[in-house]
Amino acid sequence: MSLNTAEDSKDSPAAAAAPRRGFTRRQALAVAVTAGVGVGVVRLLGGSMQKVAGSPTAHSGTDWISPLSSDSARMMHLLRRTTLGYTQAQLESALSVGYSKTVDRLIETKPEEPPALAAAGTPGGRFAVNQLQQWWVGHMLTTSTPFAERMTLFWHGHFTSDYRKAADDTFMYWQNLTWRRMSMTDLRSMLMQVTPDPAMLRYLDLATSTGQNPNENYSRELMELFTMGPGNYTEDDVRESAKALAGWVLPRPDSIATVVVDAANNVTRKLPVYSTQKAGAFNQRRAFKGSVTYLGKTGSLDTQGVIDRILAQPATAAFIAGKVVQHFVTAQPAASYVTSLGDAFRRSKYDMKTLMRAVLTSPEFVSDQSYRALVKSPTEFMVHASRALGSTRLSKVIAASGAGMGQSLFDPPDVSGWPNNDSWISSSTAVERVNFVTAAIAQQKSALPAATDAAHTHLDGVLGPQTAGLLNQAADDRARWFITLASPEFQLK
Amino acid sequence: MSKEIGINQLKRRDFLKAGLVFGAGAAGLAAGYAAVPDAFARAVYAAKKEGITNDRVLVMIQLAGGNDGLRTVVPLSDPAIHDLRPKLAGPMVSQALPLNNDFGLNHNLPGIKGLWDKGRVAIVQGVGYPNPTFSHFESIRIWETGDPTRRQVDGWLGRTLATSYDSNGHPLTGCACGATDVPGALRDLQATLTVIQDQKTFGFTGGTEVEAAVGALYKGTPGIYGALFDTAIATATETVATLRTSAAAYQPMADYSDKVKLVYSSKNQLAAALQLASELIVTGTGVKLLHVTLGGFDTHYTELNRHDDLMGYLDSAVGAFYQDLAAHGMSDRVLIATWSEFGRRPKENASGGTDHGAAAPLLLIGDPVKGGLYGSAPSLTNLDPTGNLNYSVDFRSVYQEILSGHLGADAAQILGATYDSVPFLKAPVAV
Repeated sequence: MSLNTAEDSKDSPAAAAAPRRGFTRRQALAVAVTAGVGVGVVRLLGGSMQKVAGSPTAHSGTDWISPLSSDSARMMHLLRRTTLGYTQAQLESALSVGYSKTVDRLIETKPEEPPALAAAGTPGGRFAVNQLQQWWVGHMLTTSTPFAERMTLFWHGHFTSDYRKAADDTFMYWQNLTWRRMSMTDLRSMLMQVTPDPAMLRYLDLATSTGQNPNENYSRELMELFTMGPGNYTEDDVRESAKALAGWVLPRPDSIATVVVDAANNVTRKLPVYSTQKAGAFNQRRAFKGSVTYLGKTGSLDTQGVIDRILAQPATAAFIAGKVVQHFVTAQPAASYVTSLGDAFRRSKYDMKTLMRAVLTSPEFVSDQSYRALVKSPTEFMVHASRALGSTRLSKVIAASGAGMGQSLFDPPDVSGWPNNDSWISSSTAVERVNFVTAAIAQQKSALPAATDAAHTHLDGVLGPQTAGLLNQAADDRARWFITLASPEFQLK
Repeated sequence: MSKEIGINQLKRRDFLKAGLVFGAGAAGLAAGYAAVPDAFARAVYAAKKEGITNDRVLVMIQLAGGNDGLRTVVPLSDPAIHDLRPKLAGPMVSQALPLNNDFGLNHNLPGIKGLWDKGRVAIVQGVGYPNPTFSHFESIRIWETGDPTRRQVDGWLGRTLATSYDSNGHPLTGCACGATDVPGALRDLQATLTVIQDQKTFGFTGGTEVEAAVGALYKGTPGIYGALFDTAIATATETVATLRTSAAAYQPMADYSDKVKLVYSSKNQLAAALQLASELIVTGTGVKLLHVTLGGFDTHYTELNRHDDLMGYLDSAVGAFYQDLAAHGMSDRVLIATWSEFGRRPKENASGGTDHGAAAPLLLIGDPVKGGLYGSAPSLTNLDPTGNLNYSVDFRSVYQEILSGHLGADAAQILGATYDSVPFLKAPVAV
């Protein structure tokens, strides 16, 4: 057995000499795998199993061999990162349309609205958060516009709020609807929406801030986490924009309901009822009256003024572009790549369609370095697995399993949203991921779909030796699905 | 785990360092997390052969969000507190549990006060670092890495694990209880450690068959995450087996409860996490460095009840933990320490809360501790230009005492320099 060290990877250009051919879908895993664990990756090539990168000098020997030179692999890579799973038929349909038209479709198709959630009419939004989680996951499992859900998930982790502090699940529901509708609009409109968003007004305390005695919470995170990133503003800017942003309050309810909250002690509470979705209201009397010095300019300033000044900072476009790239392309983007995307984003007046089109059609997106360079988030992993199994009935299991994997929807760990990639991997989450696969397969009442093509359709036919060997030994579709979905390959995107 | 796997992983991590960025979320990336530095150059194996073999255990409790030091160790005699906090100071001062004429513990810390009375609590006041950042995520990273210059990537406990213990093959040497991911303080590519969110669900459904299949699936996994995946599964498999034995051998001798009154429900189950920590300690699994978290301390709003409730939660969980350890005859070897990314602004805001601050006290609890007040409380009138408390003790001075005095580790190697230690321990551990 030969183990290669980092020094060998300097010679990695030699890997380009590895054969690159399209693979045929129907080729089963007929050939036994060599025992060389840790040496290279087995790639299924038309008609036979071929070992590549077997020579210590050819490659680091521990990396995946990118298949992205082939049209079908590029399409699967695109769909894996922008949808929530695909069937063989959907893949073939996308292939017939071609890569760039598929990108257009993803970006231009209007998001399908989820069904209305009846519980949202509950006074005070006092309903169990798992209803909200199941509602969203249920939509992810069946929607015809999964890209909108991927973007909604992205924004949920960016302009994040949690149900505990929002203390009103109707507000959390509205925020989810808002991010879906706005997911492909522009950053300025989104910032004008997120500032008076009721869940956000609660989560970062802006609803309780006054010009006279401002609360800095929203002001700071608006700059640090939502737009510019740390190092691009001063503590004085935090204080000054806290003044300028003060004055927002929660929306006025349509009615008030008296609700028994503790039957045993006969305790009632008056709770707000909203018949339609609303944004916060601005109360001039709570606003700051004087002038502020913010990001280098002095004068009177309102919310719109704060946001426009933030958008005038070059740091903002690069910060958002960088976060998008780390979510969709690679954990380690080159600075020049992020800068050029940021420039295009800023020139387009922060248009999200422009940014996402630039990202998905960039050479970096389909470069060998991007192949399997990201770890699927728990939600992505579970929904992809369910859709691969053709199961639309797993929303309860998925909603309940997220917390153990580190991603409970509507309940991010903190105001920076969810971490990513290697943070998703620990002894605890690894067990939970495997257990989800076991549960998903066990729940399948009808026959499982044929697993013969699963390694091609869902793993690009690029398999580590262990996965290939176990699939080859698997007795039936149940075992093949377990290995496919529990494999390290399937955890990656 | 066989030795061969260990060597394999070591080699693979050598590859890893070139390709992996620690995922600290957008905030971390924006803060300039660099690729992993040349950690591999350290003579890790050589150090481990002569690693720490004493029985000392450290339990770090993170109070996430920025714990209000002035509500934890309350100034009783300085009238300035009432000017700074007209809404928050009154009951806080009048109800505090006096430690002396000048300071008292939050009134919801009666259990910890009881331990103070027995000389088992050391309080280091005014802990911070120069030029404090008011960003949660930057300051958390500084405390986790022990590096205010933000160049260090590995956590201070991760470095301790990597340099001073033989964690390879003993994944339970370091353990994060009640978490899903590795806390930054425990991170180090050269260290193997365990994360157990919930002991009740920690195990493969489907039993040994599934366990065997997954064990076979995750071997020599390619790619930049390969070693992490393989280690996670190997660690899980091994730990599941250990927990089976430890759970059978362990009988809690205290009442742990997470059913506590809180203004906002807790993301963390602190009592359950500490109960698991206790199980790991008293059943002799070899655990040395433990980390648990209680969040919710970012009290910009309605701090009064929120912070008091959190203090009560901390008190009941820590009280049960200490009692349990003592009943098992293990409290002489365990040091419990709190940490938080910063304290809060002395002046309250309009929302009945406080914004991000700087220096704050740390609590060190356990039999190894020499009880009393250390450091000096920051002045409430001589504030820094941002209106925050000036620090008097560098947080690394606390780490220094923990590392060299309690664990018997090479603090200078781990911290990159030697700091004046705060002498809050009865006697340094025999090395």
